[in-house]
Amino acid sequence: MKYSVNFHKLQHWRWFLVWALVVSGLLAHNAYLWLGQRITPDTDILALLPVQERDPVLQQSFTHMVDAAQQRVMILIGAREWEDSKKAAKAYTQVLAAHQDLFDITSLSEKTQGDWLAPFQQNRLALLTAQQREQLNTLDADAWANTALSKLYSAFSGPKLGAFQDDPFGTFDAWVQERAQETPVRPREGHLFVADATHQYILLPMTLVPPAFSLTAQEKVLPLLEQAAAAARASLGANANKIEIISTGVVLHAAAAGQQAHQEVSTIGVGSLIGIIVLMWMSFHSIKPITLILLSIGVGFLGALSVCLLLFDRIHLMTLVFGASLIGIAQDYGIYFLCHRLGASQVDSKTLLKQLVPGLLLTLACAIVGYLGLALTPFPGLRHMAVFSAVGLLFAWLTVVCWFPHLVQANTLKSGKLVARYNRLLGVFSAIKIFAQRSRSIWILAASLLVVSFYGVAQLGVNDDIRLLQTPPKHLVSDQIKFGKLLDAPTPVQYFLVRGASPEIVLQREETLKRALDPLIGQRVFSGYQAISNWVPSLKTQAENRALIERKLLDKEGPLKLIADKIEEDAEWQTKLSQHLLASNQTLTVENFFQSTASQATRHLWLGKIDNTYASIVAMKGLKYAEMQQLSKLATGMEGVQWVDKIAEISSVLGRYRHNMGWVLLGAYLLVFGLMLHRYRKDTWRTLAPAALASFFTLALLGISGQALQLFHVLGLMLLLGIGVDYGIFMQEQNRHSATKIDGGASTQSRHLAWLATGLSAASTLLSFGLLALSSTPALRAFGLTMLIGTALVWLIVPFFIHAKDN
Amino acid sequence: MLTLRIFCAKLLFLLIISSLIAPNSFAANPVPAIQNMLAKPKVLCGRFDQTKHLVGMKKPLLSNGRFCVLAGKGVLWRTLQPFPNTLRLTRDEIVHFQGERVAMRLEAKQEPVVRMINSVLFSLLSGDLSQLESLFEVEGSADATTWKVNLKAREAALAKAIGTIALDGGAYVKNIQMNEASGDRTSIVFSDIKTGDTVITAEEAALF
Repeated sequence: MKYSVNFHKLQHWRWFLVWALVVSGLLAHNAYLWLGQRITPDTDILALLPVQERDPVLQQSFTHMVDAAQQRVMILIGAREWEDSKKAAKAYTQVLAAHQDLFDITSLSEKTQGDWLAPFQQNRLALLTAQQREQLNTLDADAWANTALSKLYSAFSGPKLGAFQDDPFGTFDAWVQERAQETPVRPREGHLFVADATHQYILLPMTLVPPAFSLTAQEKVLPLLEQAAAAARASLGANANKIEIISTGVVLHAAAAGQQAHQEVSTIGVGSLIGIIVLMWMSFHSIKPITLILLSIGVGFLGALSVCLLLFDRIHLMTLVFGASLIGIAQDYGIYFLCHRLGASQVDSKTLLKQLVPGLLLTLACAIVGYLGLALTPFPGLRHMAVFSAVGLLFAWLTVVCWFPHLVQANTLKSGKLVARYNRLLGVFSAIKIFAQRSRSIWILAASLLVVSFYGVAQLGVNDDIRLLQTPPKHLVSDQIKFGKLLDAPTPVQYFLVRGASPEIVLQREETLKRALDPLIGQRVFSGYQAISNWVPSLKTQAENRALIERKLLDKEGPLKLIADKIEEDAEWQTKLSQHLLASNQTLTVENFFQSTASQATRHLWLGKIDNTYASIVAMKGLKYAEMQQLSKLATGMEGVQWVDKIAEISSVLGRYRHNMGWVLLGAYLLVFGLMLHRYRKDTWRTLAPAALASFFTLALLGISGQALQLFHVLGLMLLLGIGVDYGIFMQEQNRHSATKIDGGASTQSRHLAWLATGLSAASTLLSFGLLALSSTPALRAFGLTMLIGTALVWLIVPFFIHAKDN
Repeated sequence: MLTLRIFCAKLLFLLIISSLIAPNSFAANPVPAIQNMLAKPKVLCGRFDQTKHLVGMKKPLLSNGRFCVLAGKGVLWRTLQPFPNTLRLTRDEIVHFQGERVAMRLEAKQEPVVRMINSVLFSLLSGDLSQLESLFEVEGSADATTWKVNLKAREAALAKAIGTIALDGGAYVKNIQMNEASGDRTSIVFSDIKTGDTVITAEEAALF
């Protein structure tokens, strides 16, 4: 007998235990993932592009340009007097030298050792500047003879690249000078030196050891740099305020963003948590409901994460953020159950659940069907998001169904006074509705509301610019601008990508591109470019240069003869000099160049061989943003040349996601409508209308307030659909309950419970997602604002759509 | 026309490849004694005669002209024979005149090393050795009225490129000798040195 009771009890707890096993499995898997595997979410937004659209060469170029820059930290320390700069830089580096686990300080001595000109000296005749090529074609023999003669007699021709006979016309000197001008940074007494009108700066290039986006980097680097700056200031004593320290690096931006997020978590986050706890306490006189709801969402999140990683092996940060907010809908299941638990004191939890399951099942089905539409798009990010939110919702739902009846018994919860007052509100809505039905003026009001809304929606612009997503602190931006000006550094996110079947073709195409670019420097579209072909001309150009020099300068009757006559040397001298010059006849290759220390600053521009093609980057300096159109136009129609703008590229990915999500949203409304048709028949529209109307009004308000639509607004609308449909179903379900019971009292109570569930869910959504409208991160603000307006509207609209027979 | 560019390229190179070596302490540093001996006038002008011996040439190349050093302002270097041209170096630029026409101008804004080139050149012509010590090892001797120093670039690659520089003089620099590793040799003799505000001609002063 006892045994059978136990068995019965066991059966009673069967689902609870099964689910407990599943959750333990989830916990173990997640512990393994986070602690064992140390998974980190992907952050590269381009990984969200459809696979077939990804271009390996392009990706590689980003890796070279952007990822390499990511670990770099550059500090400029400047004072009016060079001695002060040196002193301050020494103090600064001393602080950092003690932390080699964080910073790798590039030492200059290694870089400058060795003769950096060695690979070029054997190719002197092949290296000419564009200006010199032109002069060789236009100037006559007399002019070149005079050039050489004044060089012969010039003062202080002591220090030079070689003897006079190595470079009599100074062509190689001029080429070297042009190369030196590619950067304003100069070695000076063992430091890298750069100056402007007032300050003499020392450049300290460093490489960050831990990843720039890791917490270690963000927590330790900033205080350490501040400490170093303080030491640098202290070293100058009374002149401390005259020193200027300019810091740049991705890690600084990451740390600033981290700090901002931290501040928001401690204000918005704590604020919303307190708000929700107070709300639950006033409704249920217990904080048990909030822990239960968090439990269901938590299980949902862990489940979604496990399944996503099992299916896709990786997860993108954007999936995580969006997916996590979508399973925010999961709170509705718990709230719905708890509110009904509050009202049905005479029914045990199991029976109650049986009553509620049809409605709960429908809300789950609607949400899952709605979001699975995301999986039909070709974008991996949206697919992952679909799986993440569907699985998350399912797990949260199962937690409610399997666990809640056992964790909450009849009479565990008592309703507070607030609940009674809040329920009276429903009467106000009914009164308004009855008044509206009798009055014609309501139609005029509705019509004018619609007109204004259509106007608002028509005002709505679109903006997918990635730069809207982040707002770096002002001092970082101004440092970045100053740094860019001083160093005349090329931008890492906009450049030309050049491809070809061989290195020679790549170099030739670079040269064609450069010829087209040169006139634009005069028009101030940009100030200059860095390219491998600046250092290593194509073999074709090398041959042309050599032929040009031979023809114009080394001809028997040419400038050399004129010089010989002037300085009273004979034909033998002329022949010897000619032969000496012609002896440096090797060709320069990219490989030769890379052996020289001179290549260190430009090596990253050469991508080398990727999948049978060779590729390189032509980097732009002093680019004017407004003139960028001209550059992208220039590349079109030029074979093997592509204008790359990572900012525009990312913005376009965001735009396409916004666009696709918009269509999925519309499709989701249709699907959900179809799904509910079976249960609610001609009342189906009542369940969807609140969400649809609220979304429409939200868009109108955004339009009227001058906001531009972006991905994060659409995501908000997506969430709003889920929430709105839940409320619609809750309010329709009470109708069915009351219809079956034909009991006036029960009907009112049932309606009050549905209304309470809606209110609690809406209030906690407002407190959690809506408060994000206060965030200073534009993306979160857009999302939060949509949720704030939308949720409030759904909440207010829902009572008007109750099919009330007994009114 | 290209002279200036070439000239700059050389000095530029000199500075580009100059690099750190911990300052050595010299057994006998003649620099303070020389510093005391030098007159350091506000304005100094004189004649120069330059002789160059180049590898592969039988005859030396001779040139001469006038030079002026203005403390705190800069240097004027006027070659008169065999090809007239004028070079003016100030704190922020190097200008090459042909007659009164500006043939070439290189500004510090565009090339930061201009300032350093000019300071090195000013130091060389005025004998201000303390300024040169960061780039060169200074070895030499001084008695009561004359001095002599050898400059050797601190950085090996630089030393290889420019060889050695020898300076001698008394109250003023009298000779500069440059021996390059390539075998080219240059010697400059200064004479007829005058100081005071009046030694600079109106035509020359107009260039500052």
